[in-house]
Amino acid sequence: MIVPLGHVLLLAAALFLLGAVCAAVRRNLLLVLVGVEVMINAAALAFVGGALRWGRLDGQVFVLFLLAVAAAEVAVGLALLVRGYRGTRSVDSDCYRALRG
Amino acid sequence: MAAPWLPELVLALGGLAALGLGAWLRERAAPLLLPLSLAAAAASGALAAAERGYGAFFPVLFCALTAGVLLFAEPYARRRGLLGDEFYGLVLWACLGMVLTASAPSWLTLFLGYELLSLCLYVLVALPKGRLAGEAALKYFFVGAVASGFLAFGIAVLYAATGTLDVAASVADRASAATAAAQPWARLGLALLLAAFGFKLALAPFHLWAPDVYQGAPAPVTALLAAGSKVALFAALLRVACSAGDPLWAVGAPTLALLGTLAVVVGNVGALTQPRAKRLLAYSSVAQTGYLVLALSAVRQGGAAAALFYAVAYSAADLGAFGLLGSLSSPEREGDLDLLADLRGMGATHPWRAAAFSVCLLSLAGFPPAAGFIGKLSIFVAVFRAGFVVHGLVALATTAAAAFVYLRLVRALYALPPEGQPAVFVAPKAALSERVAAAAAVGVVGVLGVAPSLVFSPAARVLWGFLHP
Repeated sequence: MIVPLGHVLLLAAALFLLGAVCAAVRRNLLLVLVGVEVMINAAALAFVGGALRWGRLDGQVFVLFLLAVAAAEVAVGLALLVRGYRGTRSVDSDCYRALRG
Repeated sequence: MAAPWLPELVLALGGLAALGLGAWLRERAAPLLLPLSLAAAAASGALAAAERGYGAFFPVLFCALTAGVLLFAEPYARRRGLLGDEFYGLVLWACLGMVLTASAPSWLTLFLGYELLSLCLYVLVALPKGRLAGEAALKYFFVGAVASGFLAFGIAVLYAATGTLDVAASVADRASAATAAAQPWARLGLALLLAAFGFKLALAPFHLWAPDVYQGAPAPVTALLAAGSKVALFAALLRVACSAGDPLWAVGAPTLALLGTLAVVVGNVGALTQPRAKRLLAYSSVAQTGYLVLALSAVRQGGAAAALFYAVAYSAADLGAFGLLGSLSSPEREGDLDLLADLRGMGATHPWRAAAFSVCLLSLAGFPPAAGFIGKLSIFVAVFRAGFVVHGLVALATTAAAAFVYLRLVRALYALPPEGQPAVFVAPKAALSERVAAAAAVGVVGVLGVAPSLVFSPAARVLWGFLHP
């Protein structure tokens, strides 16, 4: 492996931070979903780096599962968003305030 | 037997069979689905017990819980026209997710189980028609999706630092030169994992979603959320806590004690002034998880046995409380019984269900002789023995204050409606399956309160079987 593991992990951490900030500050629920996807891809990058560092395959296998799970999650999330949109006509998180104390 | 995967396979095939029957027979499948699903849960639990002995503690607990949820949910969903094959399939797969999460020796299995559980629960929360359930499902989904991002990245960083996906090996102490340089990364990974677990367990700084989601979700599904998904995550955390090496535990134990105390305080104080029944129970479940995490911080001083006991007592009481709340809710309105005032007069019109509800609430509050009392007592003993005296005293003080919360709910049940004003919502007649499930929940709470040794005496073997699958 030519690139040191530390550099890969730093890149992955930066990517994760970007995704987390996007998920935390965006009001548009579709962009929150995009942020979550970026977080999961950061995890995949760190897995590939770790697998190369240790010369093991299980990290690479984890990435395959991770991609499948992320796709399933997006499918369910978009379906729920369509269901919510029918009630509120909005994908803005501020429009979902029927449940409060 | 040479098929250790059989209990999981039975659950997976049971869910598939429910969906298949629904697709082929359509309406004619309806009477077959409940017996089929109950049989799948029972067979999976029995196979796990036969295969793994004491190590099957958590799988058997989840199968029993799933059976209870199915018994409560069938009449609930039938009254509201929500009942379809997908309901049974999703509940069985959620149970599979819980079993996988709780018994996973590897981070990969844990992640897949956690995701399976979460995806099924998102859809189950969204099943009822109307805005409330849709909003609850969206809120649950977005919190859960961010949490699974934290979980995935936490596992990835921990893997990159330690080179193993084995849960026990990755947190054990291995002070070699190769891993010393990666120590900060390993710590970052563990911190992210703790945040992910905190979100899913609704621990104090990460609990804000819980009241909204519990309020909007259908009551039997809330029971699955509160009892099942939390106990599954708790079991995974128990494995991490028991396998942690000494340097990690020196940081981990105070962190867990702090988080647990915070959850107990926030949950109990938040419930004090809550006018809505399900939000009150949501704050209560935040506090109950706090007790479980407090027990974890004392895992080396006998906290594990107390935690196992409390997990059973809490699951049974929460299943009964949410199940009966659903059973007492009128199908004519959107959502379930909401304000405490709506419960007025139930003690007179539905004496059996009100009594069972009260028993579950008193167990959650920790009144003797219910199981919750022994559970809390043994947890506090372990916490004091572990040296977390201040944490223990603070938690004890708010526990005493929280008794008032549950008494408010019980008083609402037995208060009479205002003079000349008929009850606004009439509860439907109790179905047989609801009576069976309520009796089972009350039975577990009562029997464990009188004979706690049923869990405490095999606890050491249970823990051994759990940690060495």
